[in-house]
Amino acid sequence: MSGVAPPAYATLRVERRGPVGWLVFARPEAANAMNATMLDELEVAWRRLDTDPAVRVIVNTGDGRAFQTGLDLHQLSRDRAALREQARRTAAAELRITAWHNRVTKPVIAAVNGICAGGGLHFVADADVVIAASDAAFCDPHVSVGQAGAYEPIGLLAKMAAEPVMRMALVGRHERLPARRALQLGMVSEVVDPPERLRDRAQELAETIAARPPELLRAAKRMVWAALETGRTRAVRQAGIATVGAAEGEDG
Amino acid sequence: MSGYPNLTCLRLERRGPVGWLINNRPERLNAMSARMRDEFEIAWKALDADPAVRVIVHTGEGRAFQTGVDVTEIATDGVGMERYRDSLERFDLRFTAWHNRIWKPVIAAVNGVCAGGGFHFVADADVVIAASDAEFFDPHTSIGQVVAIEAIGLLRKMPAEAVMRMALVGRHERLSAVRAYELGMVSEVIDPPERLRDAAQELGERIARNSPAAMAATKRALWQAFEVGLTEACRLGARELVAMWGHPDQLEGPRAFAEKREPRWADPVPSDTAEPPQPAAPGDPAEPPVP
Repeated sequence: MSGVAPPAYATLRVERRGPVGWLVFARPEAANAMNATMLDELEVAWRRLDTDPAVRVIVNTGDGRAFQTGLDLHQLSRDRAALREQARRTAAAELRITAWHNRVTKPVIAAVNGICAGGGLHFVADADVVIAASDAAFCDPHVSVGQAGAYEPIGLLAKMAAEPVMRMALVGRHERLPARRALQLGMVSEVVDPPERLRDRAQELAETIAARPPELLRAAKRMVWAALETGRTRAVRQAGIATVGAAEGEDG
Repeated sequence: MSGYPNLTCLRLERRGPVGWLINNRPERLNAMSARMRDEFEIAWKALDADPAVRVIVHTGEGRAFQTGVDVTEIATDGVGMERYRDSLERFDLRFTAWHNRIWKPVIAAVNGVCAGGGFHFVADADVVIAASDAEFFDPHTSIGQVVAIEAIGLLRKMPAEAVMRMALVGRHERLSAVRAYELGMVSEVIDPPERLRDAAQELGERIARNSPAAMAATKRALWQAFEVGLTEACRLGARELVAMWGHPDQLEGPRAFAEKREPRWADPVPSDTAEPPQPAAPGDPAEPPVP
């Protein structure tokens, strides 16, 4: 474990193993829920990993039994300023929680190590590649506590069949989508069994991706995400222009 | 059940929090006559207006779920498809929940053959479950008709190849319930098929435990996401999210959770009275209520 000079993160562990930067949720005692500190640290961590030239690919996972379970409202209720700022960002669509929010340009692998609930789905929707431990499960309890679900299921809708997303958003906490079904639906591309092998497999997969030229990875990522913003013809035209640009960049 | 309009081609019932809309022309495989088409609008609105209904289940009587427009009527009544020209040209359709902007959750429980126009009701439902002997196919091109609206609706919701294949192969092939499950077109296959209605009621009751207002806001956020790009969808969805702040359900939810009891949600409001949420003003003091 080496690399990034250890800034004092209280709620995350940020490490580099070879070309792979790890962003690990480290509040296992709170099922990795996001308190005010984690919200701040996420923005810093994504930016540092994205600008560290030794990091080619980023893996995002969680310590303990949960992957990520969304906002820690109990903690935030005691920190009015943080709550107000998060409310402002939510309303203005200026969240800085995920790689996508922070415009990270490197490939991001979410390695879902356990329960992924509510706001945890942000990190699945906004990752490029998602793998899961065989005992991982997904659910969106917003409507069960009187909240609307929006960002997370909207992000998932853009990436997979809609019916399971709508079902998850409307059933709330009364049902979980298991990793095996997520694999069948193309929500995750790999289920790792036994679950203890998840981190090794994520490292291996990240190293495989890291072997590709970084500028091509960046261009591919940009094109695919841009395509989610627009119609087909426009997306293809943009990609065409970007491909020529990337090729010229290589030659030059 | 009392209180609902008496319809000829459809049956309306309420069982607990679940409102049932049942296609009721089994002798015609639940094909949509002009009358049935008109009755759909009445039916969706009646279930939407009943505050005791939290979730709507849509299914069919007999061997078929729904088999599209009643081709016999079209061929023999002297009016034919001309009757529908105007509403199609203006895209002013009123026979699915989506057409009628119903914001209560809708479960389609596909009980048998779902063909052609029957896909409208699958494409426009939120949740879809199917009996193990249900089958899907789209015969439009086999009888000289263009497939458009139903297939477009499905395209937004599932892998496209399967939709295109059904649209082009027509009546010469059927998609099984199991394959529909694999594709994420349905989320549950019920076997034996006789258990479909019990399973739908049970799922409906589970969904009915959630906040009606929060589900309506979620449903609006998700359906409008199909209309725009990802970033814009998030921005519009944020309005729905923020519009829930200050709603009594947002305090009731965490409180019930802490007290380990079922929440007592505010009754649902009729979909057509729901105020469209406004963009948040800069410096808006709105914030989520804190448990």
